[in-house]
Formats: sequence, structure tokens, C-alpha cells
Amino acid sequence: MEIHLSWVQALGGTLAVALPLALALFLLRRFVRAGRRDGESDWTVSAVDDHGHGSSSFHRWDARCKLIGLLLFAFAAAALSSLALALAALAISLAAALACRIPMRGALRRLLAMSGFLLMLLLVIPFTAASRPGETLLYFPGLPGLPFHVGGLLLALTIVCKASAVALLMEPLFATAPLTVTLAACARLGVPESLGRMVLLCHRYIFVFLHEMSRMYRSMRVRGFVPATDLATANAVGNFLGMLFVRSFERTGRVYEAMLCRGYRGTFPSSATFTATASDYAKTFCWVMLGAALITLDLLRLLPW
Amino acid sequence: MHFIRDDTIRRLHEEPLYRLDHVSHRYPDGTQALRDVSLGLYRGDRVALVGRNGSGKTTLVRLLAGLLPCGEGEIRCRGQVLQGELSPQQRARVGVLFQDPDDQLFCNTLNDDVAFGPLNLGLGEDEVERRVVRCLQQVGLLALRYKPAHHLSYGQKKRAAFAAIMAMEPEVLILDEPTANLDPRQEQVFKELLSDYQGTLLVIDHDLLFLYDLCQRAVVMSKGEVHHDYSFAELVSQPAYLREHGLDFTFRFSCCGGHHHSHSNGDGQRHSHHLPSHDHGDGRQHTPPAAVQTPLLELQHYSFRYPDGTLGLDDVNLAVHRGDRLALVGENGAGKSTLAACLLGLQRGEGYFFFDGQLVPNRGRPGELWRRVGIVFQNAADQLFNPSCREEVAFGPQRLGLRGAELQRRVEESLTRVRLEGFADKVPLNMSGGERKRLAIAAALAMEPEVLILDEPTAGLDPHGEELLLGILGELDLTTVLISHDLFFIGELSERTVVMHQGAIIRDYRTTHFLTDEHLHSINGLDYSYKMECGTRILALQNGSIGA
Amino acid sequence: MHISDGVLPMSVTLASAVVSLAGVALSLRRVRNEELPKIAVVTSSFFVASLVHLPFGPTSVHLILPGVVGALLGPASFLSIALGLFLQSLLFQFGGLTALGANTLMMGLPALLCGLLFQTLRGTTLVRHGIAGAVCGGLGTLLAALILAALLALAGEDFFGVAKIALLAHIPVFFIEAGVSAFAVTFLFRVKPELLAGGGPGR
Repeated sequence: MEIHLSWVQALGGTLAVALPLALALFLLRRFVRAGRRDGESDWTVSAVDDHGHGSSSFHRWDARCKLIGLLLFAFAAAALSSLALALAALAISLAAALACRIPMRGALRRLLAMSGFLLMLLLVIPFTAASRPGETLLYFPGLPGLPFHVGGLLLALTIVCKASAVALLMEPLFATAPLTVTLAACARLGVPESLGRMVLLCHRYIFVFLHEMSRMYRSMRVRGFVPATDLATANAVGNFLGMLFVRSFERTGRVYEAMLCRGYRGTFPSSATFTATASDYAKTFCWVMLGAALITLDLLRLLPW
Repeated sequence: MHFIRDDTIRRLHEEPLYRLDHVSHRYPDGTQALRDVSLGLYRGDRVALVGRNGSGKTTLVRLLAGLLPCGEGEIRCRGQVLQGELSPQQRARVGVLFQDPDDQLFCNTLNDDVAFGPLNLGLGEDEVERRVVRCLQQVGLLALRYKPAHHLSYGQKKRAAFAAIMAMEPEVLILDEPTANLDPRQEQVFKELLSDYQGTLLVIDHDLLFLYDLCQRAVVMSKGEVHHDYSFAELVSQPAYLREHGLDFTFRFSCCGGHHHSHSNGDGQRHSHHLPSHDHGDGRQHTPPAAVQTPLLELQHYSFRYPDGTLGLDDVNLAVHRGDRLALVGENGAGKSTLAACLLGLQRGEGYFFFDGQLVPNRGRPGELWRRVGIVFQNAADQLFNPSCREEVAFGPQRLGLRGAELQRRVEESLTRVRLEGFADKVPLNMSGGERKRLAIAAALAMEPEVLILDEPTAGLDPHGEELLLGILGELDLTTVLISHDLFFIGELSERTVVMHQGAIIRDYRTTHFLTDEHLHSINGLDYSYKMECGTRILALQNGSIGA
Repeated sequence: MHISDGVLPMSVTLASAVVSLAGVALSLRRVRNEELPKIAVVTSSFFVASLVHLPFGPTSVHLILPGVVGALLGPASFLSIALGLFLQSLLFQFGGLTALGANTLMMGLPALLCGLLFQTLRGTTLVRHGIAGAVCGGLGTLLAALILAALLALAGEDFFGVAKIALLAHIPVFFIEAGVSAFAVTFLFRVKPELLAGGGPGR
């Protein structure tokens, strides 16, 4: 089916889609960046587990069971191909993100971080999707050679829903327990312990280097550095990053010695103990079943879109 | 060489805790770091390990901590020779507090950090818990037990690292420059913690005033050898030795002799403005300015709030005239650095900020302030990011649009002003702390700013470096704002002192009045008198020895 | 340059996850145990460096520097990149959890290749280092963009257009990356040349 739009229809339709989207993004940005002055580099990062000590049902869920349940659900959600089911997955993730009673700012920040890539998909796929027999094509006035595939739009929207669904699960998955506990749980599930240790160290030193970098960048600014697209900028930034790396290599030696001095012999001591109760298993079972149900419905192709 | 010990007799009979016999160490690159060092550390010893940079102090510490294998000679611990990879139990006997606390807080909560050592020792959970609580309690950080280290202030981090070491209950405690970058109050807290420690103490520091009460024994190292090993009182009483090892801080006592009486100007609320910007609405006019000259910098009712809501500056009124030499003092967190950031245009708050009579807008692009205000930050490492001194100094002038001969002239002139002639092609990263600090000053001076802000210029310098810096800063002929805790430098380098407390200016008077203001201790715990007293006692010792 | 969750079909997602896991496992074996903490600390500085944005026209691009990572860490760079990307998805959601395998392949392979290439190109002079840095910096980004396009193309005909546009959009990034990498490498060569041996953060 081919539909040729008039100017009014085309403009109205575009505005109807673009305006709410732009407004939503604008509000998201405003909210996430509230209190920050213009012109400042956004280098603030919050730790994953700042709200790791809480009392929601996600906080009380045994970390091993939580990892299994939510990860399986996340993969199930990422595998969906129907928009309706992707929307359902998004609703479930949103409910989970609200239920873990952690300020939504973190989750919204994640959505904002993805928005660029997703917007690109929304804009590009409808115009470049593969042609299928019997699909609906919209022709914008003035663009006769560039049909707008409604099927492509649905595909892009499905991806947006799936990506957001997985993003919203990150908070319940990783922010509802101290990172040490989550990683100890990973180790119990068979992830090499050394990887967990590396994640912990890396997480800690990200904050140290962030401070270091912002202090260094500040001293570049007071000496008149303004980034531009030119060779002088590449030179200054190359030196700046080179210095950051040199300092990090120097620090890693010092950190390692400090670890040796406190009796480090290749393993991090862990005092984490896990006890899973019936309710932990029940929660995991529920999430796995939710994921399985979505996948089954998706495979059966019962829904029109 | 001098090895005079008043308790030598006792030493002959007692087995030392640690004994180094003819230890030498050469690094893979060929540097001979230690040469035939023999030393005994006894139970309860409190040793100050002093000497110039590169004299082998750090190598000695690393050998004691088992971080370096002992090549020539031998190290005995309670009569047992230390060899090969040390066990955690052997390591636990020596606790080392390194300079940068961030290197030692490598876990994601204080609890994990403090528990790390005891868990490695294989202690039971109850014992670990007991030690964590006790050590965090001791340093006053128990409430922050489950916080990550990046939420802590510098002083708190330093104490947390101390707790992590104390949890291993070491017999010997080694501290590498424990007071570097601490404000006087934090320094005092640290000193009390160290005084409570019962074991053997080995402290590397340049600050003899800090060491004075803490240590009884002084080991002076020079070129990889132990040069002197005697009582601390003897060390400080010999100015000639101090000078020889770059430790002479007595230049500090050449001034501030006179004792003035307190001249507080009373209530800090009264203020006057120089430039018309607003009136207070109640018809009351500001005190008309006595000076006709337009101030170079003026803040009127200036406040700054951080994004998280904390007040950084609270209704600040400050005028700085051309040629003023101003000192900014106050406890850590009083708002000094925030004020500096506002003067640089890095932070912008609410109120009126005039630069040379022009109102600086609180919104929009920061404008051209960077061309006219220079700053030297506390940590030179954060300021140096170029592969050579020439490029480092040229960075700012290049941004000002200078090229060719003029650029060359500025670079050379600035390097000469900070006594770094001939350093143009050296790599800043490989220079000593004092040289790097001076390079950072040169980089700021090369832009020929009208105002220069110096943030803790003496932090981490040895006395020799301090003296050199004093000379350089004394020669500067421009408006300076000096942020410092160092009473002596304030006295030498400023005529006017502004005291800040909780974001507000509480005093603004002549430096001579500040130096004798007895109310300050009660206002913001700036205990400057203690060091003066130590200094006076040391001077008395020196006079005594000269007389004898 | 990251693929977000739900773009790739499950078969591609799982296959790339398996390959990445194998790569990480291999790295873990090759790297000595005592170097692991050091690699972790260095990785945090790479992570932080990737937050630097440079202006390009009306937008800005953020640096990835696969070439420099490869030059500095050599065989360990794959592990470092996997770690960095995991933390990015943990902290920011740049590249989601289920797409982690694909993203690791996309960044890790170029870093490994550039590491090897850098060692053969770098020579002993400053100029050679600058050239090697520029080549590896540009090529690393180009390879990453090619892998991104290939993965997108694997997702089906619907994504061909996206793949092309992603490739085109990265052309300016190649140049910026090449420039910054060249200067970063020459800086390291002048200041601490031993870091460029590709041996990782050993003693």
C-alpha cells in the first residue's frame, strides 16, 4: 500500500511525532542535568551502588538469584521482535525500576545516554528499511524517491522499547546491593574471581582519575584552553591524555605496593555469605517465567505488531 | 659523622626489632640508592628519617616493608633474616602510610579497606569486625564505614588509610610525609593519633616542627648513606647540619619578632563598596570609599551555591586594589578555593563581581578573565601536562596569541624568574617537587597576569624549596592573593589578611594584626600558635648549643 | 560508537558474546596474575579518557583511543577494553548489558590489532612514533566502525542504511582520533618511552 501525503499531513504528522519526543528529551536533559551550569564539562559520575543499602524487595533479594532472574529476563526482552511485547517488557522494567525505590535520576541518565543512538535509528531505519511485499509506504511531498516504511518505524520503535527495557533493569540489577556483594555473587555463579576484583578496582579508581582529570582540565582552562576542531586542540588533548595515562601507570605501581603491604597474595579476601530462601527462589522463578512468557508469545506471533 | 646516643648502653644489650647490616641497594637502571647502611630499630623507638630528596629514605622504607628484595647485606627482624617473598604475617609487622591516601584506599567502602589487611592475615570474622570498628572509631570515621573513599575529604582519607594500616596492628609504623597537604587542624588530629600509638615509629617528613614533639631520634640520610644518627634535640640544635641537608627552616624565624596587640576591627558585617551597583533598599548608603582608585577586583554581596545545595560563599564583600598583597586564610572548606575559582571565572555565583571596574556577568561565557588572572594550584602535578618545560610555559602565551620572538622572550624570562634557567628542554614529569612547583609558577607568570592567586604554594616542599620559593615570590611585583596555612609565609608575603569561615569573610585587616589575633583559635580552630612555640623552643636549643 | 541492546538478533548477540568471552579468558591466561590489579587501575584511566568530548561542528565526539590502548597494553588490551565497557554499561548505559559481547569485539579487536601494528611501525624516532600513533589511532577507529557496520548488516537488510550512515558519520572521528593518538603517543615517547613497549603495566 502506498500513501502519498499532502504537505499538511506530512507537516502535521512529523510535528505530532517530533514535538512530544523533543519535549520529552528536553525535560529529561533538564532533569538529569539540574543544577549544572552551562559550559561545564559533564564529568560527574555516580557510583553504581550509592543506594546499595535499602529495604526494597530488590535489596532483600539474594544477589545470586537476582542476577540469574534479571539477566535471563533482560536477554529475553532483548530477543523480542513484536512491538507490543517490547512495550510490555518496558512496562515490567519500569515497574521494577520504580519498585526498587532508588531515585530515578540514575535510570533517566541511562536513557539520556542512549538517546542519541536510538534517535538515529528512529530517523534512519524508516527511510532505509528493506522493502517487503504488501507493506505500507508513506511518500512525503518533495521526496518521491525516499519512501517512509511504516514497518521500519515499528522496527525502530521496538528497538527503542527493548533497549530502554534493558536499561531500566540495570538499576534493580546492580544498584540494589553493594558492588562487592554483586560481584561476590557473580563469582559464586562461576565468573572468574579475578574479573570481579578487577571490576572493583577499576570502579574505585574511576573516581580518583575523574578528580585528577577535572583538576588537570581546570588548569588548562585557566590558561586559556578552549577546545576547537584544530591541530592545537589535538596537541593539547593528546598531551593531557598522555599525562593522565602516565599518572595512572605510576599510580598502579603505588597501589600494588600498598596492597602488598597489607598482605595481598593474589586473592581478595571476601567475607560475603549468601543464603537463599524460598522467597528468593520464588522471585527468580517469577522473572524467568515472565521472560519465558514474553518469548513464547513472541515466537507464536499471536499479536498483529 | 656523628653517632652520639644518650642511651647507647641500653642498646648494646637489647636485640633490636629490625636490624640492617651493611645494606646496599642499586636499582636496575644503575642508581645506587643505598650504600652500606647499618641501622637498628628498637622497640618503642620514635625515629625521624630526614634528608634531601633522593637521599635514599624511600628506598630504605621499601626495603623495610619488603617491597624491594634485599640485595647486598641483610635485614633481620627479631634476629631472623628476611629473605624472598614475605608472608602476610611478616608484612603485617610493618605498616606503611604512603603519601597519597588514594593509593591505599583501593576498595569500594572504608569497611572493606580496613578489613582487607586483617582478612589477608586469616583472622576470624569476629576479630576482623572488632578491629574494623575499633580502628575506624579511633580515627573518628565509624559513621562513614560503608561510604566509598571518594566521598571523603583529603584529611578524612588520610585518616582512613591510617585506620586500614592500624587494623593490622603493626609493630613498626612508617609514615611517608604524613602532614603533606593537611591543614593545621587535620595535622593536629594526626599528631594526636600518632602520640597514642605505642609501637615503633619511623617518620619521613621535612617539617621538623611537626616532628619535634613526636620523635626522640633522628636519622639523617645523604646520598644513600646514614649520615647522622642521634637524638632529635641534637639535630635541631645544629643549624649547620640542618643547612647541609636542606632542612634549615630557621629562615622562618628571621621575622615576625614583634608582638602586636590585637586590633580586631570588630564586627565583620560592616562593609563598603567602591563601585556603584546597588543600594540596600532601606535608604542606607554604603560607606563611601576612602580610596579614589578603582579596585582591580571587587566582589559585592557575592554568594555561591554548589549544585548539591551547600553554600560555598556567603555574601562576600571584598575589594582588592592594584598592588595589594592579600592573604586568604581559613580552615579547609572555609571557601578559600571557591573564592579563588570565582575570581578566575571557573565558578560563577550570585552577586556583583567587578574586574577593573567592569561588571563580570554571572551567566554566559566566562569571558576574558583568564587573560588577566593567573593561578598556581596547590598540586603542581595537576598543572603540568606538557612534555617539556618550554611547551609548558609557552602554553598560556600561545593561547594569548603570542608567537615567535615575543613567545620565546616570555618563556625565557619566566623560567629565569623562577630560577629554572636551562630547564627549557627538560621533562617536567621527571623534575623534583620543588622544581615542578616553580615551573607551575613560571607557566602562570608567562601570561603576565594582573592578579596572581597562589593556592598553598608551600604544600609538600622541603625547607630548602620553601626558602627558594620565598625569594621568588618576594620579588614579584604584582597583585597577589595568597591562600595558605603557613603563618610565616603569610607574614612575609602579605600586608593584608582576609579570614574566611564557613563561606563568609569574618576578618579583613592588616597581616600584623592577624598574626597577633588571639580570637582566631576559638573562631575556626586555626591553631597557628603551636608551631610558633615549637619554633621558639628549637631556637632556644640552637642558641644554647651555639653558646656552649 | 556503541550498539545498544535489542538491535542485533539474538544469534549474533550470543555468538559475539561467546567470542568475546573466549577472548577475555585467553587474555586472563596470558596475563600474569600480579598484573591484573594494575591493568584494572590503568583501565579506569582509559575509561575516564573516553569521557573527553571534542567539539565537531555543532556536535561533539568522544574519544575511544583503541590505538593508544593497544600500544600501551598490547595483548592485555582486549581484557582492559572488556572491563572498561562493562563499567560503562554499569555506570552510563553506553552499550547495554546484552550487547556487551558485540561492543567488546568492536573495540577490543581493533585495539589488539593496533597494538601489534604499533610495535612494528614505531621505530625509534619521534617522527616514526607520531606516524605510528596516527596510523594506529585512525585505523583503530576505522576498524571499529567497520565491525560496527558488519554487525549491523548481520542484523538484516533493514539495517543496511544504518550501517552506511554509521560508517559515514565516523569519517571525521578517524581524523580526530588519529590526531589525538599521534600527540598522545609522542608525549609518551618523550616523557616515558618504556610505557610504549606494549608489555602492560609490569614493573
